[in-house]
Amino acid sequence: MEEELLELLRARDSRGADVLLLHYGPLMRYIISPILADPRDREECLSEVVLRVWERSDQFDPQRGSWNAWLTALTRNTALNRARHNRRFPAGAEVDELTPSPAPTPEEALLRQERAEEVRRAVSALSKGEQALFYRKYYYLQSTAQIAAELGLSPRAVEGRLYRLRAHLRKALGGDGHG
Amino acid sequence: MDKQDWTSLEEPVFDELLLENAPDTPPDDLISQITPWRKAVNRVLWGCALTALTLNFLLLNYLLPAIGVVLMLLGFRTLRRENRWFRLCYALAALRCALTGYSLIRNTTVFPAAPWEQALGVINLLLLLAVFFALWRGLCTLRETSGLEFSTGSAAALLVWYGILFVLAMLGAVGFLAVIAIVVAYVLILRNLFRLSGVLDEAGYAIQAAPVRLSDRWVVRIFAVILAVGIALGYLFGGSYPMDWAEQNTDTTAEVQEIKDHLASLGFPEDILNDLTDADLLSCAGAKQVVVDVMDHPANRGRRVTEQQGNSFYSDTVYDTKELRITGIAVELPDERESWKIIQHFQWLENPGFYGTESIQLWPASRTDEGWGMRGDFTGQVLYDENGKTYISPYFYLGEETYTSSSVFWGSTQNQDLFAAFSLPDRGENHRGYVSYTIQEMVDGYIVDAWINYTHQMTWWQYPVRSAMETRMVNARNDTGTFLTIQDALQFYPHDGITDLINAE
Repeated sequence: MEEELLELLRARDSRGADVLLLHYGPLMRYIISPILADPRDREECLSEVVLRVWERSDQFDPQRGSWNAWLTALTRNTALNRARHNRRFPAGAEVDELTPSPAPTPEEALLRQERAEEVRRAVSALSKGEQALFYRKYYYLQSTAQIAAELGLSPRAVEGRLYRLRAHLRKALGGDGHG
Repeated sequence: MDKQDWTSLEEPVFDELLLENAPDTPPDDLISQITPWRKAVNRVLWGCALTALTLNFLLLNYLLPAIGVVLMLLGFRTLRRENRWFRLCYALAALRCALTGYSLIRNTTVFPAAPWEQALGVINLLLLLAVFFALWRGLCTLRETSGLEFSTGSAAALLVWYGILFVLAMLGAVGFLAVIAIVVAYVLILRNLFRLSGVLDEAGYAIQAAPVRLSDRWVVRIFAVILAVGIALGYLFGGSYPMDWAEQNTDTTAEVQEIKDHLASLGFPEDILNDLTDADLLSCAGAKQVVVDVMDHPANRGRRVTEQQGNSFYSDTVYDTKELRITGIAVELPDERESWKIIQHFQWLENPGFYGTESIQLWPASRTDEGWGMRGDFTGQVLYDENGKTYISPYFYLGEETYTSSSVFWGSTQNQDLFAAFSLPDRGENHRGYVSYTIQEMVDGYIVDAWINYTHQMTWWQYPVRSAMETRMVNARNDTGTFLTIQDALQFYPHDGITDLINAE
């Protein structure tokens, strides 16, 4: 299915969008839903993702990761950008040209890169179960209720696991390469 | 950002930093795990696989299906909000879980099965068929709502497979080739179902996992605790028959006393006379002669002793104690046609620690010899002494049983035997009892050949729990493991006034 879809997208065949929505629509909605609360926002975001996939499918390199991973990252980033945009410019708010740019300074960018690397190292040192929990919480931004339902846990049990996860991460981030 | 910064951050700030700095993409193996569907469906499929497995060793034929029903319950619990068919699957899986749990606990008791309990196996299978039907319909509904094209044939095939298996089981004749075909078909169906699960991953993201109040781990724990407590109670209170013990009434009528005195004068053991009911004593009025044969038997496995004689070694089992005394008594009755009242009495000389059930299987002379016929009913009772008092109880079961037994040598055979089933208490001493019946001469010249097979339960541990009587009926050669059978026979040539014991010690 993946190869057929990529062929259609790269050939700029309009059926590609239909196939993408049919087969990967549920995955994209699954990623968008926890990030965007408003149903209209979600649908607009989904359209935006389809458009981006349509435009950028050439950038997908199977050597660097799976199609699902690429699509997941693209969908998540699109949804996060939309969510950030919504926070900065709530519906009805006027945007003037004096609004400062959200782009970080070079120093901030370097610091952010270092932090991201530290977090990546700390997360990769976690157990598989904790890693999955981390990604659900901090990557997919799933609510405690959603995590609980999908893992067959009570919300309280999820809170307990998240508490332990944070403690592990604090320890790992505080102890490795710092001080 | 230094070390202090990470460890001393307020929780919301720490959360925000993790969110901002999460890796760009999760690892591929994690991406496939993060779905509301796969874990639940895999549980359902593994549950299906384990439910059908029948590995008759290490209790796996009980453990694996039990794990299977719990997995199916947990899987359908997650999917129950998706559509009404999955909801039905969940309800049926919960019912199957309860029934399986009940069966597992019930297996630790010897109480006779109620009529509805006898149908439990069929009910469970019908429920399983209903689960597969609902699973198939649930997948069809999912196909409609997702718009994806996939075949639900493997789920329907599972339903058909179980249906065929059910019919074959009812017919009772499944050859080796049929078994191979059944297993291969099942493996293929499951393989297709697991493939289907992969195909459905795309649609699975649309599923809304149902929230739960109790985590899966707690559901499993609660099920395990209920099973453990139920099984412990079953072994504790259900491993022996409820006997109707009452203090023996020592009052006796002059007529009965007169018969007792007469029988004692003919050589009837006096202590056994006191164990007989008045009805049995009255039936011996006017007895002409009494034949007695006493034999002590070991009710233990003994110990192996090896002796060297010259260059040869001889190994033998030596029994240091003989705990069970069996006394065969024949009383010739004053009837026109030669008739004997046979009394087979047992007495525990040492308390072996009664763990559950005991049984007596009788092979009267009439069983094999056409020279004798049965007359009247079987009678008897069990007794024990405690604090100077004697307690009596009727047998839990005393009567004739028709059963099919299997043997390596004779294959499957239909039998009809007399059985007494009972339990003896751990308390007290001098546990004993007897069974009696009357035989009447049909053809002159036959010996009296009356057998008793006493089956004693050696240990409480067995699963599923079977009574001594059931075990004896299923397999007569049960001298290893939980039960031990002790055989004894009263054999003599009846002549007028003289009897020759055949097997006297």
